Amino acid sequence: MCPFVQQVRMDNSLQRVKLSVHPSRALVDEEFVILVQNVPPGSPMTLHALHCSEDGHRWEACGHYIADSSGSINAADDCSVGGSYLGVEPMGLLWSLKPVPGSKPGLRMRKKDVQTPMVVAISVFNGHHSEAFVDQVSLASWVVERWYMAPGVRRIPVTEQQLTGTLFLPPGPGPFPGLLDLWGGGGQLVEYRSALLASHGIASLALDYLTNEFTTQTGKMVDNQYFETAYRVLQQHPQVLGSRIAMLGLSLGSVFTLKMAVYSPVVKLRCAVCISGSHIQPVSGGPQEMMDLFTRNIEKINFSEQNEVIWRSLLLPVPSDPSMKADVGRLRCPLLLVVGEDDQNWCTQESAADMEQMMARAGNDHLLTILSYPETGHLIEPPYTPHTPSSMYRGAGVDQKMMVLWGGKTPEHSAAQEDSWRKILTFLKKNLYGGSDPQAIHRSHL
Amino acid sequence: MRWESSTRPAPLLTATPVRTLVDEQTCIKASFLPSNHPVTVCARMRSDEGDLWQSFAHYNTNSSGMFNLNSDHSVGGSYSGCEPMGLFWSMQPAPGEREGLRLRKKCVESPYTVQISLLEGHVSPNQDPGKEVAAVTAERWYMSPGVKRQEIRQNGLVGTLFIPPGPGPFPAMLDMWGMGGGLPEYRSSLFASRGYASFCLAYVGHKDLPGPSNTVNVGDSYFKAAFQFLQEHSQISADRIGIVGLSYGCYLTLHTGTLPGVKPACLIGINGPVGSSRELLHVNVTTKKSDQDQVFWSFDDQGYIIFKQTSLPSNLHPESIVKLEEITCPLMYIVGEDDLSASSIENADLIEKTLRAAGKSHLFTRLSYPGAGHLIEPPYSPMSRASFWVIKPEKLMTLWGGHPAPHAAAQEDAWRKMLAFMELSLRR
Repeated sequence: MCPFVQQVRMDNSLQRVKLSVHPSRALVDEEFVILVQNVPPGSPMTLHALHCSEDGHRWEACGHYIADSSGSINAADDCSVGGSYLGVEPMGLLWSLKPVPGSKPGLRMRKKDVQTPMVVAISVFNGHHSEAFVDQVSLASWVVERWYMAPGVRRIPVTEQQLTGTLFLPPGPGPFPGLLDLWGGGGQLVEYRSALLASHGIASLALDYLTNEFTTQTGKMVDNQYFETAYRVLQQHPQVLGSRIAMLGLSLGSVFTLKMAVYSPVVKLRCAVCISGSHIQPVSGGPQEMMDLFTRNIEKINFSEQNEVIWRSLLLPVPSDPSMKADVGRLRCPLLLVVGEDDQNWCTQESAADMEQMMARAGNDHLLTILSYPETGHLIEPPYTPHTPSSMYRGAGVDQKMMVLWGGKTPEHSAAQEDSWRKILTFLKKNLYGGSDPQAIHRSHL
Repeated sequence: MRWESSTRPAPLLTATPVRTLVDEQTCIKASFLPSNHPVTVCARMRSDEGDLWQSFAHYNTNSSGMFNLNSDHSVGGSYSGCEPMGLFWSMQPAPGEREGLRLRKKCVESPYTVQISLLEGHVSPNQDPGKEVAAVTAERWYMSPGVKRQEIRQNGLVGTLFIPPGPGPFPAMLDMWGMGGGLPEYRSSLFASRGYASFCLAYVGHKDLPGPSNTVNVGDSYFKAAFQFLQEHSQISADRIGIVGLSYGCYLTLHTGTLPGVKPACLIGINGPVGSSRELLHVNVTTKKSDQDQVFWSFDDQGYIIFKQTSLPSNLHPESIVKLEEITCPLMYIVGEDDLSASSIENADLIEKTLRAAGKSHLFTRLSYPGAGHLIEPPYSPMSRASFWVIKPEKLMTLWGGHPAPHAAAQEDAWRKMLAFMELSLRR
């Protein structure tokens, strides 16, 4: 149990200090406002955030401020001049969270239990400090909850037809548009993005396709039909509108998103979102064939100066052989690509450029929207959650963990998470809820 | 004409934020509906005792198929006009529920879960439930995360202390309610959620208090001990403690605030008397129910009891009347002008007159709300114009007064002003 604050008397001149964070309970993608009042005007103050993750690690962030002439600090308007983030950053205390000094290297923050909130203690300290917060007494402190799941959202494990997944249904009778949600090569059943999407009105099925029950028991990978089965389960659900289903894939998940979107006779998508992914893949294969492709190209691995694994060249150069990349010229639904220009794990940028060319040649590029973010890495996640530039990673089915470089600089990457998430939600809502014709939406309208 | 289609998803109904404190607003909106179309929004929730409370309102979507409770007007239902929080404060017990209910949160550590539904057309959910086309669930909390709740049973005191998160020391409030007794915690938990330690104190009708439950069996020393408990608390600033009370709790606020040795930083009285109607027995104010009181009771044509006259200053026991001229701290008095349970206007007049004569008008703030009743509580909560109130040996329907819309407006305004008053008095 992490001790958040210490209880000691302090001197009178600072007794009036008031800290409020509003709202104190919010969804993970909602902003809050941090307000400090009644401090001596012009005095240096530090805002601090402390979070104990589910796996017992402490994460912290801080911002250095100067109180204005009314003795207030408002993180939404005022500039941080030091600490773990700089500038006017209302949510800086969350997105710049890093493991405290002395923590195990290569940590990544991922919420496993989406039915409980992430709890963060926000404090204000006298003066400008960047470390040793645990030895100091704060002037005031507040506690906020950050939720992946809105009240009323239903979490339903999906195990029929050998699937391993979790369906999140929004509250109400429906029918709701549906979404098949795929993560990357690490496998596991990652629920938080689906829980958040359901909190925005989209019935979302998080699917484990690498470390699922079948694979764990037989040692064999699933084939492409697994995704079609998941699609059908979603389509046939009484509260899901079968004609309005999308797919969202990150990293390896984008490979199968595109494969289904282009080639599957079963999967009819209303729209698709690919984050940090690629169309490069053996067209006529499934997960196993994709893994084989990685294995064949293993010598293309590079290493950073800190010995972190750089995988981005594994699929390069972009093949010209049509059997080695999904023919996006055949897409009939809108596609949103999210690209981190500093992606060190996949050749996302090159793939996006090639897809654009293919679609321009085929004449369906009006369906394509590309969001490209400088200094942004591979793991583009929902906003206001910490950026992971590198972490200890174990691929599904692999014994060894290694330190993998994902890329990105924290401020730019965090801004990209915020901007892309908002645009992903707009894109999904417009295509899944709106109009009779699905459409690519011009970047400026997202 | 039914507009539901099998090729379109259900409309999107949202409440932002979905989890709020009870005194915070949430914005209810809907989109992807047919344009210029009638809809009904309905809110339902269960009290801690399991009773169903509900409200509904009629709206019309705009040309983009949207509506927004922050800007649009209800054209019928439980409230009318532009009322962003109308669905919450206009809730009433559903048909078939028990009579004489009043909504009071017992367990402050859990939220009210409010189901908000969108129905087709302008319907009355009681008569024709209609078809629910969309829904959203909102949680309304009486406690912020990190607020600590402590049951206090020491030195004879019976109460619950709420401490905000953080190191402190905090300004604090001593919080008292009326003769209904028990220990309502919800105002204190909200104060703590706004950064004030708050101690709600039981003084009658609680199993842990001495003596029969229908009489006040504690005196001056009890209330003084409660104040001292706060002063001596390591996380409370001894010179930044205020007292607040509703109804008889208002009398106790004024009385305790003028006890020798008690130096509050502010006083807040809501709809209560400056003295006690019951006869004084000892120097310590131990009061006993007396048949004398009943002379002042009156009844409306439904047989509901109106207590108002008992607290007319001229009907109060003269020796019990608080020496208001001795007050040395700011005093806020809140009046519901349709209060049928206490003579609030007359008591406010007396306070005002006394303080003016003593040259202390600058200490006095009076808030007065037409159409508001006796039970001025935290905002956006449903009101009860009358409810069952326990007076042994029988339960009686008691008329509190107030009408929903003005009472709701009063609660919202009074709460905001109370917090501002506390801010000024306790954090200066």
